[in-house]
Amino acid sequence: MELNKRFIVDLSQAKTPADVVFEISNVLENPDAKNRKIWLKLGNVSLNQSQILSIKSLISSINSTLSLIESECEQTELAAATLGINTKDVEEELQAELSSLEPESPKDKPSEQYIPLEDYKEDEEKASSVDKNQTEDNTAAVTQEQTDNTLVAVAEEKQEQLNTQAPEASELPQTTEDEKQEIQTELDSIFDSEVKLENILSDEKDLSQMQNWPLTKESGVDDIEIPEEVMTDDDYAILQMNTQYHKQTVRSGQVIQSNGNVVIIGDCHPGCEIHAAGDITVWGVLGGIAHAGCKGNTKARIRALTLNAIQLRIAESYARRPDHIKNIYVEKTNTFTPEEARYVNGNIVILKTNDK
Amino acid sequence: MTGRVIVITSGKGGVGKTTTSANIGTALAKGGSSVVLIDTDIGLRNLDLLLGLENRIVYTLVDVVEERCKLKQALVKDKKNPNLCLLAAAQTRDKSAVDADQLKSICEQLQEDFDFVLVDCPAGIEEGFKTAISGASEAIVVTTPEMSAVRDADRIIGLLEAKEEIKSYKLLVNRVRPNLVQSNDMMSVDDVVEILSCELIGIIPEDTGIITSTNRGEPIVNDENSPAGKAYINVAKRIKGEDVPFLDINEPKGFDAFLVKVKSFFGIKA
Repeated sequence: MELNKRFIVDLSQAKTPADVVFEISNVLENPDAKNRKIWLKLGNVSLNQSQILSIKSLISSINSTLSLIESECEQTELAAATLGINTKDVEEELQAELSSLEPESPKDKPSEQYIPLEDYKEDEEKASSVDKNQTEDNTAAVTQEQTDNTLVAVAEEKQEQLNTQAPEASELPQTTEDEKQEIQTELDSIFDSEVKLENILSDEKDLSQMQNWPLTKESGVDDIEIPEEVMTDDDYAILQMNTQYHKQTVRSGQVIQSNGNVVIIGDCHPGCEIHAAGDITVWGVLGGIAHAGCKGNTKARIRALTLNAIQLRIAESYARRPDHIKNIYVEKTNTFTPEEARYVNGNIVILKTNDK
Repeated sequence: MTGRVIVITSGKGGVGKTTTSANIGTALAKGGSSVVLIDTDIGLRNLDLLLGLENRIVYTLVDVVEERCKLKQALVKDKKNPNLCLLAAAQTRDKSAVDADQLKSICEQLQEDFDFVLVDCPAGIEEGFKTAISGASEAIVVTTPEMSAVRDADRIIGLLEAKEEIKSYKLLVNRVRPNLVQSNDMMSVDDVVEILSCELIGIIPEDTGIITSTNRGEPIVNDENSPAGKAYINVAKRIKGEDVPFLDINEPKGFDAFLVKVKSFFGIKA
């Protein structure tokens, strides 16, 4: 995997984190955004570390890296800086790069780098970003590279394409942090990120088709560092919560809600929903949607004798079942593999309970 | 852009409304149109399963109506076809969660962004049906060549005619078995059309591939060799206004087909 080019995404008009993510996920659907270094231009949006991390994983899911964030908000810059992401000004960076490359003559082939954003995005946002893009184009018009992977992109103006965004120019190739990681994340006003970890090797083709939603991370659990267990206030809060027992089969359409922990002795069929402020424990097959820590407690966990949930949500993260698991019917087996889902750095990690 | 809002309805349950919605939607999207499918069967949703999008649903139609999310947030994009979106129904609520005016306004909003808005209607003629047809200007009535389904279709057509907003309605005859028709054990498509006196938009032959495609969560139009898939693609073309002849479902198969070819090669009429 090579990261050839810079790819600027202008989101200075976005006002909430949800807008930012929505626009990013739209931009990233464009095949041109693959294998690039993404430069993000943000307005006055305050993003915390885990949100930036989610955006980063969203970007790395299409084999690109998030290499620069420009923001008007100090908190965002600070968070980005602690994550080791460059926080310089996009225009300045471009100028700097230009001046360093100026002596060389521009002879490499130009390539079009406009990205038509298809569906429904805010019109004003589009219009303003187009304007900005055009100025950026001019500055970035002539660039060149010295290394073996020389690639120059001259963004060309296309008046007809009003729905454009994010022009790019050339970029030196850089090593990515983790090529194996195939993560698709999206922030929502409610659910910040969803990542699912499974012992299944990633299927690149499949993932590329699901750019909008899919917040799955499918890779070996070995790749992920599970932090040492330290008891925090959140853990004690869960211990002190009331626990509801349900001795029944939870069927499609049924919802169980609780301000404490929930224990279900029986199966939870696909189509049911369980929401609990604390832990969810299912002594049976969990096939529906389970949302533990629905009040925001990230220490909440979901455990089941057979964890086959359509979606898992812990606090603000959520994960969905991989597409290639096609078992619509509940599998009847005599052997169970009890599993537990946890929240680790914004991701949901599933562990076999005997793994620890 | 003003898209067409088409409701797919039947009256009787189990005749293939949802299968038809999923397949026509996919076929239209494959043909380059932008399509959004709305599942209005709140509490008994299935359209997401047929499209294999079950695990992606976070927000539903009810969340949009109750303003817990924006409309565009609730649209689930298809895995394969970026032109196709699904607005899923909530599973944990019932039909009363959405009323006719609310669905109408959603249809109007979606009309601006999509070429086709296909509304999958629940079975029955109650609240859910009235809600589903509220935003539509066209209807496709699905029926099978059975007396009970035809009677129900007749009732539905009557209700559709009474609604001014529905400008046109067309008939789709599903699960036709040519061999049963030939042996006079099943009503023929012509019989159905005659009873209902309604313009025909498609004939879908019975196809066991539908069962596997439903279970795999992949519409059968993605399998171009299946008879039902071909028929659905033709329906999609007719919706777009193309003049496509109806598939000859009595077409001989296997050795018979070979014989016909040999005969026609020698200039003998089959």
